[in-house]
Amino acid sequence: MPQNPIHQHPAAAALQGAPLSATADRTTTPELERPGAWSPIEKVLFRIAFIYFVIQSIPLDWKYFRRVFQINWLNLTYGDIFDLARYQPRFFGGQDTFLNWLVVLVIAIIGAVIWGNRDKDRRDYNQLYYWLRVIVRYRLAAGLIAYGFIKFYPLQAPEPSLSNLNTAYGDLSAWKLFALSLGVVPNYESFLGLVELAGGLLLLHRKTTTIATLIIIPFTGNVFFSNLAYEGGEYVYSFYLIVLALFLFAFDANRLFRLFALEKPTIPNLFKPDFSDSRLKFGRVALKAVFVLFFVVVYGSKTYAGYHSNPYQYPTKAGLPDAAGIYNVEQFVINGDTLAYSPLDSVRWKDVVFEKWATLSIRAARPQVIDSTNVEQIHFDDAKRNFEFAGSGGRNYYGYELDENAKTLKLTNKVNASDQFALHYSRPDSVTIRLSGVSNGRDSLQVVLKKINKKYLFQEVKKVGRRGEFKL
Amino acid sequence: MSTIRTNADDLTLTGAAPVEESVNGEGTRRSWPEWQKILFRIAFVFFLAMSIPNSAGWYTDLVTFDWTRLHYRDVYDIARFGSGLDLFGKSIFGSQLEGYATWIITALAAIAVGLIWTVIVKAIKREPREYNLLYYWLRVVVRYRAGIGIIGFGYTKLMPTQMPYPSYGLLNTNFGDFTLQKIYWLSVGIVPWYQVFAGVVELTAGILLFFRGTTTLGAILLLGALGDIVYVNFAYDGGVHVYSSYFVLLAAFLLIKDIPKFWNLLILERFTVPNSYYPAFSEKWQQYVRYGLKAFVFGLFVFYLFWLQYVNFKYDPYKQPSTAGIKVLRGNYNVTEFKINNREISYSPTDTVRWQWATFENWTTLTFKVNKPTPLDLSNGGGAPMRDLGRTFELTGTGGGQRVFHYLADTVEHTLYLQDKYVKGGPRDGVGQLQQREARQGQAGAGGEGGQPQRRGEGTGGRDGNGGNWISKAALARIGDENKMIDPLGQSARRDREFAAKPRRGKRNRMILKYSTTDGSRVILRGVNEKKDSIYVVLDRVERPYVLAKSTLNAGKYN
Repeated sequence: MPQNPIHQHPAAAALQGAPLSATADRTTTPELERPGAWSPIEKVLFRIAFIYFVIQSIPLDWKYFRRVFQINWLNLTYGDIFDLARYQPRFFGGQDTFLNWLVVLVIAIIGAVIWGNRDKDRRDYNQLYYWLRVIVRYRLAAGLIAYGFIKFYPLQAPEPSLSNLNTAYGDLSAWKLFALSLGVVPNYESFLGLVELAGGLLLLHRKTTTIATLIIIPFTGNVFFSNLAYEGGEYVYSFYLIVLALFLFAFDANRLFRLFALEKPTIPNLFKPDFSDSRLKFGRVALKAVFVLFFVVVYGSKTYAGYHSNPYQYPTKAGLPDAAGIYNVEQFVINGDTLAYSPLDSVRWKDVVFEKWATLSIRAARPQVIDSTNVEQIHFDDAKRNFEFAGSGGRNYYGYELDENAKTLKLTNKVNASDQFALHYSRPDSVTIRLSGVSNGRDSLQVVLKKINKKYLFQEVKKVGRRGEFKL
Repeated sequence: MSTIRTNADDLTLTGAAPVEESVNGEGTRRSWPEWQKILFRIAFVFFLAMSIPNSAGWYTDLVTFDWTRLHYRDVYDIARFGSGLDLFGKSIFGSQLEGYATWIITALAAIAVGLIWTVIVKAIKREPREYNLLYYWLRVVVRYRAGIGIIGFGYTKLMPTQMPYPSYGLLNTNFGDFTLQKIYWLSVGIVPWYQVFAGVVELTAGILLFFRGTTTLGAILLLGALGDIVYVNFAYDGGVHVYSSYFVLLAAFLLIKDIPKFWNLLILERFTVPNSYYPAFSEKWQQYVRYGLKAFVFGLFVFYLFWLQYVNFKYDPYKQPSTAGIKVLRGNYNVTEFKINNREISYSPTDTVRWQWATFENWTTLTFKVNKPTPLDLSNGGGAPMRDLGRTFELTGTGGGQRVFHYLADTVEHTLYLQDKYVKGGPRDGVGQLQQREARQGQAGAGGEGGQPQRRGEGTGGRDGNGGNWISKAALARIGDENKMIDPLGQSARRDREFAAKPRRGKRNRMILKYSTTDGSRVILRGVNEKKDSIYVVLDRVERPYVLAKSTLNAGKYN
């Protein structure tokens, strides 16, 4: 039921013989009782919050500026902008920890005590509160947009590699499965990115901030719980974003509670920033424009270009031409011994995957160290790109140097660099690859690989749908 | 710098619509504009039709349930029903519109009825000034419909049974050998505590909708959570998109009333009066009825359903078989030796006959891999079959050559009576939840796309279809009554009914295998396989470590 906008003075509503409830409330409405003045406890809390959120939001950490100066600003990448948007003050090295927050809180409390002693007669902090919200709004917006675009253009969780598709479900970590399960549905990933972007963009306007928080809190709340459940490494950071959003939501929380839960007449925010000073007006527009230009226009177009030509999770170096696929290991001879097929043999390879890029993975029964990276990092150096093998057991991953003239492959294990192969290859037909050479400088190897015409269920089902008889 | 303008000029008296309210809340309010009244009449018919069960079966169920021995699914079925008008069929212009055709038909009918209603009130000159009272009651109906429905869903997550933790067979299957639907269901199944969280969200949304003051928050929560689920269903081809969008629709309807208030308070930053209308329940009996109904809804859908769902989670998780498997056999096995008709086949990943890897699950299931294409069950593996044979989550949407057999164990003679969980022409619901019931009731509604009939309660007894008495009476006696093999607390009238029903004739693969083992480290199976070939299989247990962490919250009782 639409309503006519009602803009009448609250006192007048009472005078009109209006509802009893409204009359009763008049005395409990703080704004009416003591117009504008903040209670001592509100002031104390505000001083703490101010210092706390300023430290949490504005980059003051020297490590951040070291990063800023490392950036090649003439050849800016989306990875650089992503890093810049991911600021959080760190006092402790290593893994992100809530201890960092504790330090900030202690500083904030000490600062608030000193500040309180020097500023006893203050009537209110409406202005400072406004500016603090501005800082937090933009900080939060940057954080959301940074993650929003790499989902909107599905970069963060790319489609699973052939090796990943040929890994047993139980040989993948929960976090890896989370990423792969998102990667198979790029349009859903884009949708999630869109929600995140909408939340971020609505923060750029003062009046839509609360609506933005209604999107952000459930969304990032879900991200936070996903991080906890799937053993992701970003639960501290996602909770950091939630706290910023909760802080912004708190501004209108009472009003919304009053209007929707108590269903009582409610006075809106009465504070309006005054931008009558032309310098201030100009500064505001300029800063807003710079923010939008940098985090929306530049970052948006760079992630778009990245999605088309320069995604970041998989290596870029091209692999052996026309070799991509999974191969059965038809023959395996080590130091002259031919080993028969065996599912349990710890030496014999079971199957081999050639990716489109220069990665080769071998399924083998031998135990291996598993990369446990579970935080988002954008690298433009192939050697640092670990998405394909992070959280993944069951296979050994090798990067290789290809010499097409000499027909050699020089394999190096991506997790354990001392594990290397120097192999010569020949391709008698389009489905066969013969490898011969030396592993780890010790054992001689002769391997015959036969390409398997592997069909992946979810891709096949897409072609025919889920109804009717289906055989695979 | 900025200043505060406390006497903001937008808080003036001018242009204000006078708020007239009488003290008892029964307002003599402003009359509604014409378009609003017409829209309301249409909306009234539409949402009423969308909120009440449209099938006779629902009502007969209410009467025929044995209310003293309920199964969680009975109450769940009461909470989950199809609605909307399907008198005129379930397709429009020959298309089911992904299952949304019922919505469109209902909307068209609502428009027609709404317009006729308008004509009538004009003709007899009895047009009310507003529909505050009807609007209030329509919101009550929608609130309770949405609340009850989402709680039904919430509990299957709160006590994680909707998405089970993968069995050994599924853990051993390659990621690329699942359907998208399976990938999503598994991705939630591996994190039971996350599923609990999702259940808490849905449950909270539902309970908030039962109270007027928390309806807005409940509707926002419902809209957000189910909006995501709708997209998930489209993206992963989950098949439950219609029923999940149904909640989005109801939540959006509940929020319409609040949008002007949000706009006024937050965007226009104006003084906002809630302007709500509530009927006064002044009579004693009205109070009794009101609180009585509320207490009934809470008692049945919040408390009793919680208990039933808890029992289900504990003893009879509806997506996985509930009978404990033979303890000594459970685990992963390498197939060390395989003879068929006395001919030995050595291991090769390319061989199309030999078993490659076997598992005995915690429950009565044997799986093994054969490298040969096989027909697949691409349904969701849902529904609520009571017999373990019909519980197919470990099989559906899964390729990779995996074979899944249910067994009845004669532990005296050490014989397994195995039946393929895949059945030709079996359930192809593609949805898994509502269809089974609708098939039973012979109709479907707004709840989902029309599924093909689904068979219930697959025969496990000795006297069905192909093969006649494949289990001897003596063996059946030794095996015992499958119905009674779960904890007495988990038993129910529904279970009795399905086990008592005449087993359907199903064309299933069958094997009868004798097993011998001392401690399970080596198991020898010998007998006749599904093609009547004699087989001899030596299995050696393998302690196979998984990277994926074990579940810390397990459904079912298998010890």
